[in-house]
Amino acid sequence: MADQQPGGRGGQSGAAAQPASTRKYTWPEKPVLLGTAVKRLDGPDKVTGRARYSYDISRPGMTYGKIVRSPYPHARVVSVDLSAAEKAPGVKAALAWKDPGAQVMYQGDPVAAVAADTEERANDAARLIRVQYEQLPHLNSVERAMAADAPAVFPGGNVRDGAKDETGSLEEGFAKAAHVVEATYSTHVITHVCLETHGCVCEWDGDKLTAWISTQAVIQSAQQFAQGLKIPQSNVHCITQYMGGGFGSKFGPDAQGLICAKLAQQAKAPVKLMLDRKEEHLDTGNRPSATAHIRAGVTADGTLTAFDAQSWGTGGAGQPSGFPLPYIYNFPNRKRTHKDVYINAGPQRAMRAPGHPQGCFLTEILMDELADRVKMDPVEFRVKNLPPRAPNAMWADYFAMGAKRFGWDKRHPTGDQTPGPIQTGMGVSAHRWGGAGGGSQARVDIMSDGSVVVKCGTQDIGTGTRTIVAMVAAETFGLPVSGVKPEIGDSTLPFSGGSGGSTTAASVTPAIRVTSLKALDELFAKVAPTLGASVEDLVAEGGRIHVKGNSSKGLAWKDACKLIGTEPISVNAKWEQGLSGSGTSGVQFAEATVDVETGIVKVTRILAIQDCGMVVDKLTAEHQALGGVIAAVNFALFEDRLLDRVTGQMVNPNMEWYLLAGMSDVPKIDIVLNNMPERGVIGIGEPPTVSTASAIANAVRNATGVTIRGLPLHPHKILAAIEQEKAGGTN
Amino acid sequence: MTVSRREFLKGAGVTGLASAVTAAGAAETEAQTGPRVVGPGDVPVALMVNGKRLELRIEPRVTLLDALRNRADLTGNKRVCDRGACGACTMIVDGRTVYSCSTLAIEVQGKQIRTVDGLSTGAALHPVQQAFCDVDALMCGFCTPGFVVATVALLEKHPNATPAQMRKGLDGNICRCGTFVRILEAANTAKAKGVARG
Repeated sequence: MADQQPGGRGGQSGAAAQPASTRKYTWPEKPVLLGTAVKRLDGPDKVTGRARYSYDISRPGMTYGKIVRSPYPHARVVSVDLSAAEKAPGVKAALAWKDPGAQVMYQGDPVAAVAADTEERANDAARLIRVQYEQLPHLNSVERAMAADAPAVFPGGNVRDGAKDETGSLEEGFAKAAHVVEATYSTHVITHVCLETHGCVCEWDGDKLTAWISTQAVIQSAQQFAQGLKIPQSNVHCITQYMGGGFGSKFGPDAQGLICAKLAQQAKAPVKLMLDRKEEHLDTGNRPSATAHIRAGVTADGTLTAFDAQSWGTGGAGQPSGFPLPYIYNFPNRKRTHKDVYINAGPQRAMRAPGHPQGCFLTEILMDELADRVKMDPVEFRVKNLPPRAPNAMWADYFAMGAKRFGWDKRHPTGDQTPGPIQTGMGVSAHRWGGAGGGSQARVDIMSDGSVVVKCGTQDIGTGTRTIVAMVAAETFGLPVSGVKPEIGDSTLPFSGGSGGSTTAASVTPAIRVTSLKALDELFAKVAPTLGASVEDLVAEGGRIHVKGNSSKGLAWKDACKLIGTEPISVNAKWEQGLSGSGTSGVQFAEATVDVETGIVKVTRILAIQDCGMVVDKLTAEHQALGGVIAAVNFALFEDRLLDRVTGQMVNPNMEWYLLAGMSDVPKIDIVLNNMPERGVIGIGEPPTVSTASAIANAVRNATGVTIRGLPLHPHKILAAIEQEKAGGTN
Repeated sequence: MTVSRREFLKGAGVTGLASAVTAAGAAETEAQTGPRVVGPGDVPVALMVNGKRLELRIEPRVTLLDALRNRADLTGNKRVCDRGACGACTMIVDGRTVYSCSTLAIEVQGKQIRTVDGLSTGAALHPVQQAFCDVDALMCGFCTPGFVVATVALLEKHPNATPAQMRKGLDGNICRCGTFVRILEAANTAKAKGVARG
């Protein structure tokens, strides 16, 4: 499909008649490529192993770097002795990253580093670096940090006031309520587990640095290398052709990147420094925990009246933990106070829809409890309490569509009465996400042999950005995707932002569209005299440039480009308003079975209804939704960062005890993308991962009749809740 | 220093081997019981990889994955968990899948080793690779080489694998982007087209 030749309709007509300043750029009314399923351009390189990730880069004379990290969650560095390491076989460089007297604030805080000619020798030498620590009191849990007798570990307080929000009158709200639910809900800390760990290869040529870095932000990485190393940004070149997953955690060189660059300087040789799996868990971010004690009221007819919450969470050492609460539903009278709790654990970083899976879970479990109090169907109850329908708030439609498609009418009331240990249930949840475009530039070169190169300093983090860059240009020029060469993943290319917040497609595709249209205008100007036509009458479609409505009066693309002459058409332009939008909504349904004897939950089916504005590549957009759902199955059922309650060290910094779904754990997933081309491109990376865990937890509640108010849904928690229910109830 | 593979491996389990080769000052000495000890320095290791003979000088502790990635620039298979839990390093050794991060290179001398780098011939993709591209069974692509190799091994062994066999056969691999649904689809597509024994 990547080679499909666009048909004879929907081409681009010249708009050069309008002066550039007032010209309004639009998407084609009848696109040929956009919205279709186009295969990933770098698929063949990735399936054959030819794709070179940062981890795979090899340079002449390359050495290997290794970081020494604090084993303690809180300590003072007394001394760092590099002498034994410096004398070890093959060692080319060694440095102290923390000075004596400095504090380490979490297990995994970097302290020193070494580079040697082989990886094995670098690891050996790292073990010879002697660091003396003075252990200090640490906080290894939220409960400990919040305790009245907790040691004061963080300057400014272990617990600090976060967001506050108050609307309406709680007193009036609760006065109107016929029922009140009061309970505590929580979600846990998970880590990003990027399969390609963080890291880079650094190579100096005099005072110029080249870094092959695994990042979601190739240009910002160059900027941060420059700042961190105090060298001009013009002396830094970052390259990210392929990268193995970031999920919000890879936006710069971090400590390991700067350490790598310094080791390379000292070693006078290129250094590869990719973190190992344990370091990746400890020091590259995580999703903060969230807890809320909530009181909520509802009238007898199912109208929400009041919401009163005290919430808290931890983003580890020195990072906040905010999340939206309540989520989506309309509580006219509400109050929320939040506290950020600091503990001695790796600092959080943005993780796929930061804050939303937490706020969604805390609200959506409560919603099912409230629905049961008023004996309403959970879908009907939710629809009754939604904000008004809008292009970015389509939940009512999606609830109705989803209920029908999923077979919601077969859902039994809370508690499966089927005999035997396997109980089945259904749950539902809704979510939203922003996403928006801006701040991206591009360059298009059209050569006289018909070659087209599209350049943009964005990066493909697995989402298919490289492919949509080519698609948009190909659509504009009326060429097959193979007729355009996309160049991305290099800090010397025209500026584009980091890939985060589901903003990449909405930033990059308008920039490519605008730049391509401007380049096409220049080509039309060259071709028009030969065709005896005016520029405004020309279109580019089906591999030809011809007069609108008369395809015989035209030239094949290659022949048209011969008129360009020796100086190629080169256009630089940037993102403009009108081609992208903001704000998405989605609804998900889940079906799960629970073995009430073992506590094991299996998710059997998920339906995800999602919009993302204009779908660019149907194949990769749907895949983002599939991936988001699976990520949240992990969040709901498996992964959990466990800290030892005595030492504060992570118990499972690996991939055998830090659990992730395998093939047999993946449910049937039905994705429905609501294409809204009139809204422009928005983005889909994050929203599909928000609702899944809440829908699963509600399905477990529907199956067992037992409310589990905290993630993850591990078997021991299910069994404990069932026991608690027998002893007096969770509801 | 020369030592035949037979002599070297005789009676040595992996654990025994690992502890023996790291013993200080044990280089080239004959242990009183058990096999002859090699290392800790570089020793010659000859590997048959994708039909080609590779002669390396590496320390005995070097894994098959690291030997190929760091010493032979065969970087198709990835290092992810580095302890046999995620499958990104999956290779086929004498017809069986192994986690190459948890296999010593010195142990697999004389065996036929296949990696993702050797599956395609020129520009023509292996049917499994083609199926992965056709149905978009990849995103970031870092787990993909391991999944491709695991799928090839599965279909070579069970050309008519049932859906349950396919799931089970691919359960040893982890993807973080969430490509599982499409990988199963790719495996089905490749199965329908047929995969010749490698």
